[in-house]
Amino acid sequence: MASADSQPMSQGTTISQMDEEPIIICRDMNKWFGEFHVLRDINVSVAPQEVVVIIGPSGSGKSTLIRCINRLEEHQEGQILVDGMELGHDVRNIAAIRREIGMVFQQFNLFPHLTAIQNITLAPIRVRHRPRAEVEDDAMQLLERVGIPEQAHKYPGQLSGGQQQRVAIARALAMEPKIMLFDEPTSALDPEMIKEVLDVMKELALSGMTMLVVTHEMGFAREVADRVLFMDEGRIVEQGEPEHFFERAQHPRTKLFLSQIL
Amino acid sequence: MAGRQRPRRLDRNIAYFDEPPERRPPITEVGPVAWVRANLFGSALDMALTLLGALFLIGMISFLLTWSIGTANWYSITFNLRLFLVGRVEPFMDPRITFLFLFIAVLAGVNFAAWSRIHLRLWAILAAVLLALFIIPWLIAGAIPLPLTWLAAGQREVTSGSITASPVERVAFIAGADEEIVFRLVTPADDAELARLNSFSDGMSNTLRNAAANRLASEQRLVTVERELAGDSLTGRQRAAREAELENTAVPPPVHTSYEVGAYPVSLILRSGDTDAEIFNGTIAPGAEMRLTLPRDGWYVLEKRVPDNDDSIALLSASGLYPVFDRSFIREGERVFQYMRATDRLLVEGGRPRDAGGADLPMLGIIDHQYRGERPLADFLSLMLGPFLDQLNLGLALFTAVMAAAYFASRWLERRDSDQEVPLRRLRRAAVWLWLVTIPLAFLLIIGVSSGPFLTLSDPQLWGGLLLTLVLTVVALVVAFPIGILLALGRRSTLPVVSAASTLYIEVFRGVPLITLLFMSMLLVQFVLPSLSGPDNAPYRVMVALILFSAAYLAEDVRGGLQSLPTGQVEAARALGLPGWRITLHITLPQALRAVIPALVGQFISLFKDTSLVTIVGLIDLTGVANLIASQTEFQGLRRETYIFIAIIYFIFSSVMSNVSRRIEASGSGAARA
Repeated sequence: MASADSQPMSQGTTISQMDEEPIIICRDMNKWFGEFHVLRDINVSVAPQEVVVIIGPSGSGKSTLIRCINRLEEHQEGQILVDGMELGHDVRNIAAIRREIGMVFQQFNLFPHLTAIQNITLAPIRVRHRPRAEVEDDAMQLLERVGIPEQAHKYPGQLSGGQQQRVAIARALAMEPKIMLFDEPTSALDPEMIKEVLDVMKELALSGMTMLVVTHEMGFAREVADRVLFMDEGRIVEQGEPEHFFERAQHPRTKLFLSQIL
Repeated sequence: MAGRQRPRRLDRNIAYFDEPPERRPPITEVGPVAWVRANLFGSALDMALTLLGALFLIGMISFLLTWSIGTANWYSITFNLRLFLVGRVEPFMDPRITFLFLFIAVLAGVNFAAWSRIHLRLWAILAAVLLALFIIPWLIAGAIPLPLTWLAAGQREVTSGSITASPVERVAFIAGADEEIVFRLVTPADDAELARLNSFSDGMSNTLRNAAANRLASEQRLVTVERELAGDSLTGRQRAAREAELENTAVPPPVHTSYEVGAYPVSLILRSGDTDAEIFNGTIAPGAEMRLTLPRDGWYVLEKRVPDNDDSIALLSASGLYPVFDRSFIREGERVFQYMRATDRLLVEGGRPRDAGGADLPMLGIIDHQYRGERPLADFLSLMLGPFLDQLNLGLALFTAVMAAAYFASRWLERRDSDQEVPLRRLRRAAVWLWLVTIPLAFLLIIGVSSGPFLTLSDPQLWGGLLLTLVLTVVALVVAFPIGILLALGRRSTLPVVSAASTLYIEVFRGVPLITLLFMSMLLVQFVLPSLSGPDNAPYRVMVALILFSAAYLAEDVRGGLQSLPTGQVEAARALGLPGWRITLHITLPQALRAVIPALVGQFISLFKDTSLVTIVGLIDLTGVANLIASQTEFQGLRRETYIFIAIIYFIFSSVMSNVSRRIEASGSGAARA
């Protein structure tokens, strides 16, 4: 990573912080919503166990970028490779890639008609076809890991926002993904609940999970991220290690953004 | 009470509060008077509406009560109850339908135990009500004598207005062994007494009664007119009209004297209906009474005459002598005649007495001997309420007893091992399974399987009444519901052929009136399914129409539910790697269906009521039975009673359905939505 030469990233350069084979590669990716060019020539690589935080103003394409990676949105040009598999129209590839990737949403998107533990066990039982008893044991462990084992048999409507988001994280983890995508996981939470979710995410990052996190929590980015991407108008404008990024950002757009939120 | 806490000041900039003491909420409960004042008489408009509503309600209720007690003839219900409930199904169906009825009681009991609690107090109330259903008829029968029957004798005709009634000398009736008949020869003191002769009466005594009432009415009118003419409140024209009226109205002489009612003795001869042998021969003097005890069940013939005077009419009151319903039907190739006494359902088959020429003798049929006049409460109780409750009580008691047994048994089983993580889960599973068993079982019992003695196939043409209504509703629901779901999913499918076909189906069937569909299905289904041709398969053809029709409406309801789901649900499921059909099965459908329960139940209820349209294509469902009864001469003029009765049945079933839907909405995870 060319952190020393302090130039804004030029488009078209593939970057990877570590020497290992990247687990996610986006090459010259483009996407339009109708006429609106939402992602422009995105080139990103993410190494295994790397934690990448994506920041930027709203409408800059952050969410769309990570939603393209598990095919909730379809990219129209370029290439996305996840764990060596190309994300294209091949349905089997899409299914295989989705099994590798867990996702956490801003609005939690828990299934309201299922209890917390049913939310967690549904996919392992129905997709991985694992025995129910075993899956339920694992689900209880996950609930302990996110700190709410006592809420296992409650419905989402009976849980606080922070608890719901932690169940959502446990639900994603239950599929034993290699990569976790977080789409503004704390934006819908009361300030008092943000910390409990961020703590779970920190613990997850320390355990070596590959994570792509769209967030406005600069403290989290500073503390946990290996790399910070700044996006604006569908482009990756600047990226770098957090201490470099927050202290010595180069691009005027980045500087303006940081000056307004810090 | 401790005062509110004052903040404790630490310095000029910061203050903090001590832990406040526990305080109970203020008492806001108020008595019923305060409730009424707050809710019914809150404002001037409120007060006006309350009074208006109360007036309307009181008026309606008192009108309905006076009508149904004083005037309505509920025989059409009590006599035809079986027809209303099951139509004309074969007698071998009775045990099967009874079994199904009790099985549904078990189903109800288990479901109550699984999904809601029935308080012990409610059980006690139910038991008390059921007990009352047995005690009330018994009390009525013991305490209130049956009303009398009025019979006239004499040789002259009786006229009232344009109606003339001819004397009937010999009249046939049915009675039971050891029954006592009491005759009394009545001598009314005046026309007012004659006008008050309410009860069963033959044509002549009824005309006599009407003549007396009419005479009293015109007498009254003349008094009124004279009073008006004596005053000075009339205009000139009104005065002229009144004077003309006075001139033209002639009050006839008193009825009781002009017909010399009851002035001469009556000779009575009682004969056996079969052999014409004389059982009794005697004379009753005016005001005297005569008691006869009858030897056996069957037909009797009564000869009544006034031997001493050709101009006198005698008025006999008789107890133990009541009108009959008659009906005939084909049994094993032969026509059978049945006669049933209106008051207590005493049944005699065939053997109706004839005169010397071989013609049927006139009999105490319900058509000519209806209850006339305003009915006092006592007669309503002994004639209508008592017998009706007596018909219902056993079935209701059995149903409730079986339901209670199932309820307490399943609760006991559930409590015996209550170490489950989720309480009631097993019982609820059992309840759902019981539903899944009930529906095929019901079809098995109603349709039958073989031509042998075990579960003999029943003739669908004979299904009728409430049974047919329920069969049509349940079949249409059970079959249309999955089709509707598939259509809803199809309409939202990304495959253009599937979505276009589903849309076309839904729009076509929603665009055609049900009646049209019913006619079409009666004629067209047999081309597609030849096995459904013929008149005895008419119910099946109608089912096809109902299924196709309700599937289209259910599809739209379900589609509404699917559209109301937030997109995040599907995204989350896709992100977990669930394949499309599993997302539908586990995520979208359960939520969509729960969201549209009110609409679905509304659809169920309207389907239940729409089945009444099958009457138009000749099926005899509940409404069909009502039409059938209303068109019979015996029940002429009893349309109101008949239709009110079926309206009550429809209402009870519909309100049970909507009540259950409210419970489903309020229960379980449906209430705990994010």
